[in-house]
Amino acid sequence: MESHALQIQDSAISGAVKKSRGPLLTPGARCALPVIVLLLLGFAAPLTAVIAYSFAEPHSFNVFSSFSFANYAEIFNTENTVWMSFLWSLSLAAVTVLMLSVIAYPIAYGMVYVFGRWSGLVSTLFVFPLFISENVRLYGWVLFFIKNGVFDGTLNLLGGADAPEVLYSPGIILFGMIYTYLPYMLFPLVLGLSLLPRDVVDAAKDLGASRYQVWREIELPLAMPGFMIGLLLTFVLAVGAIAESKVLGGQSVIVLTHDIEVSFTYAQNWPLGSALAVLITLITGGLTLFMLFKLDLDRVLGRK
Amino acid sequence: MNQEQAALRTRTLLWVWTLFVIFVVYLPVFCSALASLTKSRYFLFPIRKWSFDWWDKTMASIEVSTLVKTSLMLAGSVTVLATIIGFFGALAFARYNWKGRSLFQKVVLLPIFFPQPVLGLALLLWFNALGLPLSWHTAVIAHLVWIAPVITLVIAIQVYGFDPVVEEAAFDLGASRFQVMKEVTLPMLWPGIWSGMLFAFLLSWGNFPLSLYTSGADSTVPKWLFTKMIAGYTPMVPTLGTMSTLGAALVLSIGGVAVILARRRSN
Amino acid sequence: MSETALMGVSRQKLLLDLVGVRKTFDGFNAVERIDLSVMEGEFFTIVGPSGSGKTTLLRMLAGMDQPSEGAIYLRGESLNDMPANKRPTCLVFQSLALFPHMTVGQNIEFALKMRKIAPAARKERALELMRVVRLPETYYSKNVMKCSGGEKQRVALARAFTYDPEILLFDEPLSALDYKLRKTLEKELKDLHRETGKTFIYITHSLEEAMVMSDRIGVMRDGRLVQVGTPEEIYTKPSDKFVSEFMGEVNIVRVRPDGSGRYKSEDLAGSFTVNAPASTDGYVVIRPEFLRFLALPSDADNCLTGRVHNEYSLGSRVQYQVRVGERMFLVEQPRRQSFGGGDVTIGWDAADAIFVAE
Repeated sequence: MESHALQIQDSAISGAVKKSRGPLLTPGARCALPVIVLLLLGFAAPLTAVIAYSFAEPHSFNVFSSFSFANYAEIFNTENTVWMSFLWSLSLAAVTVLMLSVIAYPIAYGMVYVFGRWSGLVSTLFVFPLFISENVRLYGWVLFFIKNGVFDGTLNLLGGADAPEVLYSPGIILFGMIYTYLPYMLFPLVLGLSLLPRDVVDAAKDLGASRYQVWREIELPLAMPGFMIGLLLTFVLAVGAIAESKVLGGQSVIVLTHDIEVSFTYAQNWPLGSALAVLITLITGGLTLFMLFKLDLDRVLGRK
Repeated sequence: MNQEQAALRTRTLLWVWTLFVIFVVYLPVFCSALASLTKSRYFLFPIRKWSFDWWDKTMASIEVSTLVKTSLMLAGSVTVLATIIGFFGALAFARYNWKGRSLFQKVVLLPIFFPQPVLGLALLLWFNALGLPLSWHTAVIAHLVWIAPVITLVIAIQVYGFDPVVEEAAFDLGASRFQVMKEVTLPMLWPGIWSGMLFAFLLSWGNFPLSLYTSGADSTVPKWLFTKMIAGYTPMVPTLGTMSTLGAALVLSIGGVAVILARRRSN
Repeated sequence: MSETALMGVSRQKLLLDLVGVRKTFDGFNAVERIDLSVMEGEFFTIVGPSGSGKTTLLRMLAGMDQPSEGAIYLRGESLNDMPANKRPTCLVFQSLALFPHMTVGQNIEFALKMRKIAPAARKERALELMRVVRLPETYYSKNVMKCSGGEKQRVALARAFTYDPEILLFDEPLSALDYKLRKTLEKELKDLHRETGKTFIYITHSLEEAMVMSDRIGVMRDGRLVQVGTPEEIYTKPSDKFVSEFMGEVNIVRVRPDGSGRYKSEDLAGSFTVNAPASTDGYVVIRPEFLRFLALPSDADNCLTGRVHNEYSLGSRVQYQVRVGERMFLVEQPRRQSFGGGDVTIGWDAADAIFVAE
């Protein structure tokens, strides 16, 4: 609705430009050009190359000159271990997402409704870790949990008991993923909850809704766009996670990205790695596109 | 009173939970800082002998200074390029109403909703296939693919709050397209651009998965730390990690103040 | 009309009683010790400029804010401990606060759903209310965000009525509508009040709106109730300068006793007769329609000489701006010939003016 007014004034300016320079792209398209070129060369092209390689003969570099499904067959061959990494990555990601929604929701709620002038500080404290590389933060946990580390040392000081061995296990990988991706769940949730007008919640209470009813009937459905973005973002990032298993897990679990890395580097089996990357791309890309086409980005991001 | 008590209880629980999570978030950062302050070669807690030895050694190390230089050049180039690309991208995203806008908005988000290690590996294959030698230059491209969309979003949020009618007014008062941009659009968007630059620098500085696969023989701080974590622990690992964290905190506070000042001025 | 309303009210029972209600936000007193009684079935309107604390007062009645001090009693029982979802009050918000993700029907039925009423009964009640607020039945499954402003208004009204609250609270619900629609809905609200017999507490910044609908009006300023009375009382006997100014465009002359039983003004020549014992300083308030052009100065109790500065058509009447010395006076009279630029004499009778003590 509002866009009509914009469109009119837009064409006014572009019209004036056209007079002097002849018919070029519209101003919007011209502004989009640098991003589009970057994404064509740095995103679309590599993914196309990966797709092409995934159909090449295994262990070859014969892209475009051969065509085979052998790489895909190999992934789902139960005699190999590749399908297990697939399963690990997907299930770790799913559990991460579930745990994160429970952990982050109360914080997001507090930041929107309760913390008032402190919520700026709280959000800065949650943003900052994004600027520390994940391996540095994860390594801190190694120093915490390792034998004679901070945890063990503290327990020894207090009662003499030894800390349980938690490093190099699937559990700690999950913990690391939850830890790393917390902000990616938190901020979309904050965004979603802040789209919810306070009056609407008050009105629901006034009409007799209990706290749980307000949450189920009003808060959750209206904060859904933000919640969906958070779920999607954390899931997608967690499916491709690798640092957690390398730094904390001591490779007790081989994740999907690790298999791709091995194929692209030591094993020099580009086609197999490509096939794996294609599958990851299909999962994440499919979910992302599905979600993006359901969301009204202008509403979520600010035009309302 | 009951009602107020219930509200108070909720409030208290929310605070306790949030502060607990913040504590957990910063616990490993704190552990790294502790490990950097020990005198011994291996980390034992409680620390028997405290010292700044490893800080001195890290500062003096030529290897580390090369790393920092590479990381800075990488982050600097990414900041400049991502801000320029992101600024125009944000205008296309939120300001102009053009035919492909809705599609463009979705396309821009795709690299953000994509696992970075997989993106790094795809770029590794792509650069290899093209025969490009890997160095921090190729890492700039890799970082841009992820960071430029993020910056586009950061600036777009500022652009949403900007009423394009003022541009029209300036145009009507006789300003040229260039003058409109310089006198009206840019000054009004400065706070967003500043935040964008800050984000671009910090995200590039702290990035690990993209640098890991696309910088070839050049090593950045996170990448070097990773190789040492996997094989060959030295207390320089937590030391350099802590230094890097403190550096980011310093940049964030200086940048944050700059953004606040810019915002105040533009209001 | 207002006399019968007043008699009706006085026969009825006390419903709400506010005793020393006060609300403080971070050291700022939004509402200052208000004492007020509202009768059963009354249409009570609170008027005041923005920031006068009227919304805060209403939110305390609804149970969304708690008084910092004092108590609200419903038929003698304190409401202070009762949360909004348990109170027999329902608030119609200024923003309407419709649930954007629901249909018209779902919005109206919300309160019943919360009370676990069966779907069929809910629908029946919703359709009944839609008839009352004149919404077509086909709107039942329409997305509420696709309704027009007036329709949304009706949905919000119907939603408030569903569970039969005793007291309906209105927070300037008509302020966003255009003039014509507002007038229509004012009348409909008044009808609805009469038909349902419920207690309405309504807030607005427009005294005109308050006059049309209310049994009694309370004027608020800076968190205090300045005057409470019937529309008639507020109109004819404003308690102070603020209330009289709030009534709309009026002429106000600051006067003090001249010692001989009359009043004089500092910036106007002559002295004035005022319907009050000339003992205190104060203001004479003259409505524009009570000022008239005089052929002879003796045609009215008081007169002034000036020049017509400007005139505005009000349809059948004309509002003249008359400059007297340094001051402007508003005179509202039926349309007549123009004055041609010479001096004019304007005047009023003492009985038509109101004196408010300082």
